[in-house]
Amino acid sequence: MDVEGSASDGSRQVGVRFVTKLRAPSLRVPRPPSPSLPTSPAWASPRSSTSSSKTPIPNTRTNLSTFLWMESLFACRSISSCWPREKVLEIEYVKAIVPKKQEDPCIHDDWVSAVDSSNGSFILTGSYDGFARVWTGGAVCTHILAGHNDAVTSARVINRKGHEGENNFYLATGSKDRSLRLWKFDAAEHVDHPLRIGAYKILPGHTSSVQSIASDPSSEMICSGSWDCSIKLWEVNGSEAAGDTVSIKKRKLNSTSSESEESQLEGAATSTLLGHTQCVSSVAWPHPQIIFSASWDHSIRQWDVQTGKEIRNMVCGKALNCLDIGGESSALIAAGGSDPILRIWDPRQPGTLAPVFQFSSHSSWISACKWHPRSWFHLLSTSFDGKVMLWDLRTAWPLVKIDSHNDKVLCADWWKDDSVASGGADSKLYITSGIEIH
Amino acid sequence: MKKEIPAEPLSDESERSDSTDPSEDVELSSYYGEDGEENGESGGESDSSEDEVSSLDDGEDRGTNGDVIKSVEESDSSEDEVAPRNTIGEVPLEWYRDEEHVGYDVSGKKIKKQARKDKIESFLAGADNVKNWRKVYDEYNDEEVELTKEEIKVISRLLRGKTPHAGVDPYAPYVDWFVWEDKAHPLSSAPEPKRRFIRSKWEDKKVVRLVRAIRKGWIKFDKPKEESQFHLLWTDDSNAADNKRHGVNYIAAPKPKLPGHEESYNPSIEYIPTEEEKNAYQLMFESLRSVPAYDMAVKEVFDRCLDLYLCPRSRKKRLNIDPESLKPKLPSRKDLRPYPTTCYLEYRGHTGPVKSLSVEISGQWLASGSTDGTVRVWEVETGRCLKVWDVGESVQHVAWNPSQERPILAGHDVLLLNTGLGDAEVQMRIKELLHVEESKSSEDTGDHGSAVRWFRHDKYDGIVLKHFKSVSTVEWHSKGDYFATVSRSVLIFFVATKKFVRVYDLESQRMIKKLETGCREVSSISLHSTGDHVIVGSREGKMCWFDLDYSSKPYKTLKIHQKDITSVSFHRTYPLFASCSDDCTAYMFHGMVYSDLNQDPLIVPLEILHGHTRSDGRGQIDHVSYLRVQEYYVANSILDSLGCSLLVQTPLSSFTATEMQQNDAEGFTL
Repeated sequence: MDVEGSASDGSRQVGVRFVTKLRAPSLRVPRPPSPSLPTSPAWASPRSSTSSSKTPIPNTRTNLSTFLWMESLFACRSISSCWPREKVLEIEYVKAIVPKKQEDPCIHDDWVSAVDSSNGSFILTGSYDGFARVWTGGAVCTHILAGHNDAVTSARVINRKGHEGENNFYLATGSKDRSLRLWKFDAAEHVDHPLRIGAYKILPGHTSSVQSIASDPSSEMICSGSWDCSIKLWEVNGSEAAGDTVSIKKRKLNSTSSESEESQLEGAATSTLLGHTQCVSSVAWPHPQIIFSASWDHSIRQWDVQTGKEIRNMVCGKALNCLDIGGESSALIAAGGSDPILRIWDPRQPGTLAPVFQFSSHSSWISACKWHPRSWFHLLSTSFDGKVMLWDLRTAWPLVKIDSHNDKVLCADWWKDDSVASGGADSKLYITSGIEIH
Repeated sequence: MKKEIPAEPLSDESERSDSTDPSEDVELSSYYGEDGEENGESGGESDSSEDEVSSLDDGEDRGTNGDVIKSVEESDSSEDEVAPRNTIGEVPLEWYRDEEHVGYDVSGKKIKKQARKDKIESFLAGADNVKNWRKVYDEYNDEEVELTKEEIKVISRLLRGKTPHAGVDPYAPYVDWFVWEDKAHPLSSAPEPKRRFIRSKWEDKKVVRLVRAIRKGWIKFDKPKEESQFHLLWTDDSNAADNKRHGVNYIAAPKPKLPGHEESYNPSIEYIPTEEEKNAYQLMFESLRSVPAYDMAVKEVFDRCLDLYLCPRSRKKRLNIDPESLKPKLPSRKDLRPYPTTCYLEYRGHTGPVKSLSVEISGQWLASGSTDGTVRVWEVETGRCLKVWDVGESVQHVAWNPSQERPILAGHDVLLLNTGLGDAEVQMRIKELLHVEESKSSEDTGDHGSAVRWFRHDKYDGIVLKHFKSVSTVEWHSKGDYFATVSRSVLIFFVATKKFVRVYDLESQRMIKKLETGCREVSSISLHSTGDHVIVGSREGKMCWFDLDYSSKPYKTLKIHQKDITSVSFHRTYPLFASCSDDCTAYMFHGMVYSDLNQDPLIVPLEILHGHTRSDGRGQIDHVSYLRVQEYYVANSILDSLGCSLLVQTPLSSFTATEMQQNDAEGFTL
């Protein structure tokens, strides 16, 4: 629908037309209004209107309870530097995103360092107390994955579809005790008491804390980044024989040290990617052949899985904490680190290392960033300032700020497309739902 | 008496020169030659020739007069002076072909063309006149010239290639008219004639005239100038010789104010008071003796002395220099990025002042020692406190073992701690190591008496080293006022005492250098990664930069802090160094060391880091250190535990009295 109008302030007049794709008739601007634009200098110059384009304007009709947000699209797409007076500005507006409800936090015993909610039925969290937990339905802790000797730094759900039925899931965790562990659990079984399960496979090999885990899209392999500056690739179910022999050895060793664990397999890394000079703080595996890694040595590197060679090395001047691949055709790199700016690079642009987007509303280090699994434009970021922010690439300001945490937020993930699960140093996992993505 | 006789005053001179002239003429004319016949009468001829020349100058009737031409011919020298009748110059004559005149004479009148004879007429004239063949038509002057017999003769001689005049003998014997016999030189070497030494007659006359004038008193001689008897008392004596002796820059003393008539004991008439004034106060005195003493005399003399004393006595050159231009040219701070600017992380947990910090070699862990008796290990990335050891006494210094395989923390001042951060095998090795050290140390104890004693810490699985005097760890050395750091590459050992830094070579075990800091008390020392530069912080807030290759004196001394510098530190990769002080601030500097030895290190102050809270005037930042490869800057502050009251007002202070800050290198870059 279109609504035309014009606003005047002194000599300057801008004709505007409000456009929306919203279906609900109640959200539409009435036909003949004269929507008086807030004619600030920001309106006078189209360039600066990009920054102010998210100004919420109260709807002209009183019975509309929702705020309308102006899309910055008009500024980016249709405004040239010199706007002729005769033309009518098209302003698309969308509904403001208001997080609907805040569910009760899931209390952990220690800092929540990792969360993975890529599966809609449960949320996997890792904590500094050395346990990983499975929260079925996002509310009840049904499984406790025990076995790590030190803080769990990353946890990942390896979706292995059609392998052993719908409800069997493989999980992987990495820990500061220099090992990765693989877990199997059945989401179908319902228990009242949290069930402790042990790892079915241990992947030792890193010589320092494992910092990050990513899984292959085909769920056959995982890769891990560590403080020993290396990235290691592991097979999820590997060759059982080799694993067995190792586990026997291990058992012998363990018997002397009076540690008796159940049939645990050990696996060795299939390959190691060397090149970083500092802690590899984050890895992402968006494509079967490509691994991205971010490191404290200020670089983002792209690796070819087949050859194990480094394809690309982007130096961005900051120690990086997090990295995610997504956005338009899953090609944009979002990364944040030791400054309050979330940066997004487009590696398809040749010859430039300048980020295409920079979001700087945080006030402390970025600890995690995550693209929306469906949308090309939305991503969320968490920071040590205790806030989780939802960003739209088309705007300069965060769509939503979630500040339910009262300490550093360490991790966050999307859950069921419209919810955000975030955990932090206040030992709580918050799930914020009702975030509509357009 | 003059030797030469001046020319002008002599009246006889003209006569004398006149008498000489004709003889010269004779000689010249005879030399240039004439016809043989005329040689004899040359004297008279020359006279007449001059007359003729002068008459020719009139130019009236030349050409018609044959005598004139003759005379012209006779004197070759004067031939050029005969001006043609026509004055048009060397222009083509055809310009005048159609005119009625052929040109202009000297007076500007037109010279009319003569009527032309036709051929017959001229032929008839030739036939009539036998001498007609001698006539030549002068086109220039438009006249017919009849050549004389002599001229014909000259022409015919010229045509034959002979000299124009028959009397000239080209081969005549050379007559040397100059007499060479008695002359060695062309100039006479004869003795000067007497007349050149005696006065001439007119000089005699002149002398007589002057003598007569002097005798009669007509001529008066100048008397010597008498110096004036009086001189100006108050004249400006700035030109006096006394004042010049000080050179250009000398400025004369200021003049006292001159006394006027008011001060006179006998004033001039206009200053004599009137009757009423006299009645009002007595001013006049009988004599100088009756004048009372001037009451302000001493004060005025004093003022005068003060003037003389305080006045500038030399001219100072004032240079108009822009003070900005005197500042050293420093690069812009923006160009020196990255450097820490903003505090992002705080490490909370200590309840007492943090005395020491140490960062593990990989940059993952951070150890801190505090006066609350605890040693804590932190995760740098998140600020999480991983481990706490309570050692009971205040911890002065903590240090990580620099080798990555042995995560041992040497803390407190006597305690070696196993941080338990290695994996199992490493842990085993550490345990072994600690045991071995125990046994070894017991042997050492036997050897060195009771210098060091080693104990096993009962609680924390570590080793206690009991020292009586000095406390040492693997890499550093500390005892009260003594600090040390080891540069591992060249095996040089730095020991800082109160005033000096001594540099020892560990291999040859001798002192290489002694650095004079010039400070009262050295509190901290840090060594640049190249090993050639040392910064030293002192208790009086001064920081000295030493270039070991350069001198034993500080290359640069920076006086920046108000209070004691507690710690200084170099960044290991970036050209940065920092100092922190008891005044709650930390200063960040850019210290670029060039590989070019000729270039001095560049030191630029970058940033002052605030953020630590002061309490009871005892707020301190106690230690700065850099992570090895990260750009993080770590500083921690001391808050006296008594100062917690100040912190209680802040929401997060209930559990912390100490904060450590971690700053990002670049801060905001938008």
